[in-house]
Amino acid sequence: MAKEIMLHAVDIDKRFGPTHAVDHVSLDFYKGEIHALIGENGSGKSTFTNMLTGIITIGGGTFELDGEKIAPKNQVDANHHGAAVIVQEQGTLDGLTVAENMFLGDEDQFMSKGIKNTAAMYKKAQELLDGYGLAHIKATDPIEHYNFEDRKLVEIVKSTWFKPKVLVVDETTTALSQSGREELFRVMREVRDDNRTVIFISHDMGEVLEMSDTISILRDGEFIKTVDAKDVDQDGLKTLMVGRKMSEHYYREDYGQSLSGDVAISMKGVSVPGQLENLSLELHKGEILGIGGLSECGMHEVGKALFGASYNRTGEVKLGDGTPINDINAAIDHSIAYASKDRDNESLLIADTIQDNITLPSLRKMKKPLSPKHEREFAEKYAKQMSVKMVGVSQFVSALSGGNKQKVVLARWLGAESDILVLDSPTRGIDIKVKADIYNLMDEMRKQGKAILVISEEIMELIGMCDRILVMKDHKVAGELERSRDLTENDLISLMV
Amino acid sequence: MQSFLKKAKTSQWYGVGLLVVISVIIWAIFKVAAPATFGAPDKLLSYLQSALIYAVGGCGLYFICVMGLFDFSIGAMLILSELMAIAFIPRLGWLSVIVIPILVGFLLGFCNGIAYIKMHIPSIIVTTGLSLIYESFSVWVADINGTRLDDAYKLFGAYPWNLIVAVLAYLLCWFILKYTKIGTYTNAIGANELVAKNMGVDVDKYKAIAFTLCGTFVGIMSILYLGYGTAQTPQTGMLSQALNFQPLMGTFFGLAFKKYGHPVVSILIGEYIVAMIFAGFVAIGMPTTVNNIVTGATLLAIVTLTTKRVNGAVVK
Repeated sequence: MAKEIMLHAVDIDKRFGPTHAVDHVSLDFYKGEIHALIGENGSGKSTFTNMLTGIITIGGGTFELDGEKIAPKNQVDANHHGAAVIVQEQGTLDGLTVAENMFLGDEDQFMSKGIKNTAAMYKKAQELLDGYGLAHIKATDPIEHYNFEDRKLVEIVKSTWFKPKVLVVDETTTALSQSGREELFRVMREVRDDNRTVIFISHDMGEVLEMSDTISILRDGEFIKTVDAKDVDQDGLKTLMVGRKMSEHYYREDYGQSLSGDVAISMKGVSVPGQLENLSLELHKGEILGIGGLSECGMHEVGKALFGASYNRTGEVKLGDGTPINDINAAIDHSIAYASKDRDNESLLIADTIQDNITLPSLRKMKKPLSPKHEREFAEKYAKQMSVKMVGVSQFVSALSGGNKQKVVLARWLGAESDILVLDSPTRGIDIKVKADIYNLMDEMRKQGKAILVISEEIMELIGMCDRILVMKDHKVAGELERSRDLTENDLISLMV
Repeated sequence: MQSFLKKAKTSQWYGVGLLVVISVIIWAIFKVAAPATFGAPDKLLSYLQSALIYAVGGCGLYFICVMGLFDFSIGAMLILSELMAIAFIPRLGWLSVIVIPILVGFLLGFCNGIAYIKMHIPSIIVTTGLSLIYESFSVWVADINGTRLDDAYKLFGAYPWNLIVAVLAYLLCWFILKYTKIGTYTNAIGANELVAKNMGVDVDKYKAIAFTLCGTFVGIMSILYLGYGTAQTPQTGMLSQALNFQPLMGTFFGLAFKKYGHPVVSILIGEYIVAMIFAGFVAIGMPTTVNNIVTGATLLAIVTLTTKRVNGAVVK
């Protein structure tokens, strides 16, 4: 039986100033399929789907959804036309109840003569939550009573309950734990089995191959190719994404190196209420130390505690020479760098320029009075070193893709000549080419004697890059693993769960 | 016991209960300090009389402040609404006392909203600028029929009519917050304007509506204020700003206790606490300057103690 087209995208185009984000892309999406859209950061995947779902306006071209031409003005308008999206970042609003969030912008179904039938809205919201197996979430509760994961699950219900013809899942899985992912995958399969369409954006190639029927590749805003998922493997996809053959092994390949005896920084008996319990570790010069575990195990707090950014911390954090690190200023003064998992909110000045983001921690070391020319040259040097894809350093960081934002964060600490780097989820939401660049940079730094702490939810990244791995469970260290060719994912997982 | 307390804290009525307890404590402190002049039942009713008025203005301001905006023209709107009511009494009689303040408040609030949206500058600057204009108008309006309200029109300055009007205003505020899109959308805009916009919320429209509502509630407040005070002199040179303060206090209480789900009740009890503190200091013979210091400090203390602060959280 011939497949029926659900979404016919013709000549879709979008520019942001000088950046041609989506370059005349034409693509067909069929009914009853999960269609992955992959590409490097900045390849135009999210821009394409954001136009479809009304988050940004269409620059050019047309979307024809199930025979109807659509140009949504906003997300709710897109929903009314049958297109919905689950975004990567938090999409629910504090100050509203769960139900109000679920029906935000779409209250008209409960309105009669300008009056909202609040009881009916709560009833329907609770029925939907119960139907998705989320009875522990109460529709009448303020949304801020729930954690990030539950709020994400509320978003899934919000975006799918009305049976959209096309559901866009944009890098959502990185924000979810295993059980959350399974729930999302179940919903995606349900949409497909109902002869509707899922557009799935992910950087996790394994996940893409497992879930998708069809895969389309974008590169630098242009459409490259559509392939059948069963006809490709991960390496093939990587090659299509970056336009050249990727080395199969982009992790370190050295094994059996002994650790330096010089301790760069140590933690002793560190506790943070609800996050860490009596944690001790030593990070040596020239070492990459990995911290792994399930997302709520407390591992992300380790980076903050080490950088002096943890509140209510007890216990000791000391440099190798005994200098205590109790706050962020002491950390920066002693050459410690920190890249947070929450890149947009905790690492970057998102509404500021690339230049200001790169120079910020180095200003204290620059000659006074500050010279704008020197600052610009400084930023340009490190942005270039990190190959940040930009128009110039005066460009705002908010306009960059996720991978390029991360490069700006790393350029900042490269410029600050940090000796100790704490990198929390350094490759989160980043394409494989930038990932490879970051791994190379980490390895180079390690060889220069710098000490690197990597906190990651990606097991292969830990196995591939770290000299030692501390696996955490329930806010404590559950075990330590040495670098070895024989180390497997199962070795880590058995300690995590 | 601990789990009971934990559960109680998540109850919607915890905030209201806490405010009632604070009220009782403040009453007890002043009652001990000035047993003869403070806190008798008739006195409590007179404090309530003042609180009822400011809480109506506080309700209006809530729509603005919950979005993270401010309206500094409340005092000027209040004065102009009252003087317009007085000016039209010879022609309209009772209609002037009831309808004119609401109409003037509505129109001034609408002007604030439109100016804010069209000018694209901070609400504080827009409303401060407009308050200077409203103050000047009030000087001209005062020349029409003077500044005193005829004794025959003082009905809304005393019980039970002041209570009836105020309660109707509170019910209106509660209804708008709970049963119209305005309540949801003003909260959503305050939480994240961009996401609200993406969800199809017409942000400009709802900001304009919020300013208009604020003006309308100030209009209702001026019905009560005029009856209570019986006269209103025009103010210039931003002196009307002093009148912004008390409604704003109630709004702060409403915002601080918003998470418990009853902002209108919180605004009213908050205003009552402030009224008691003012009266308490008068009762123990403190000068007005000290009253203001202590009232301001009390407000900060209450909001600080009742706001759950997260270490490291950004507060703007």
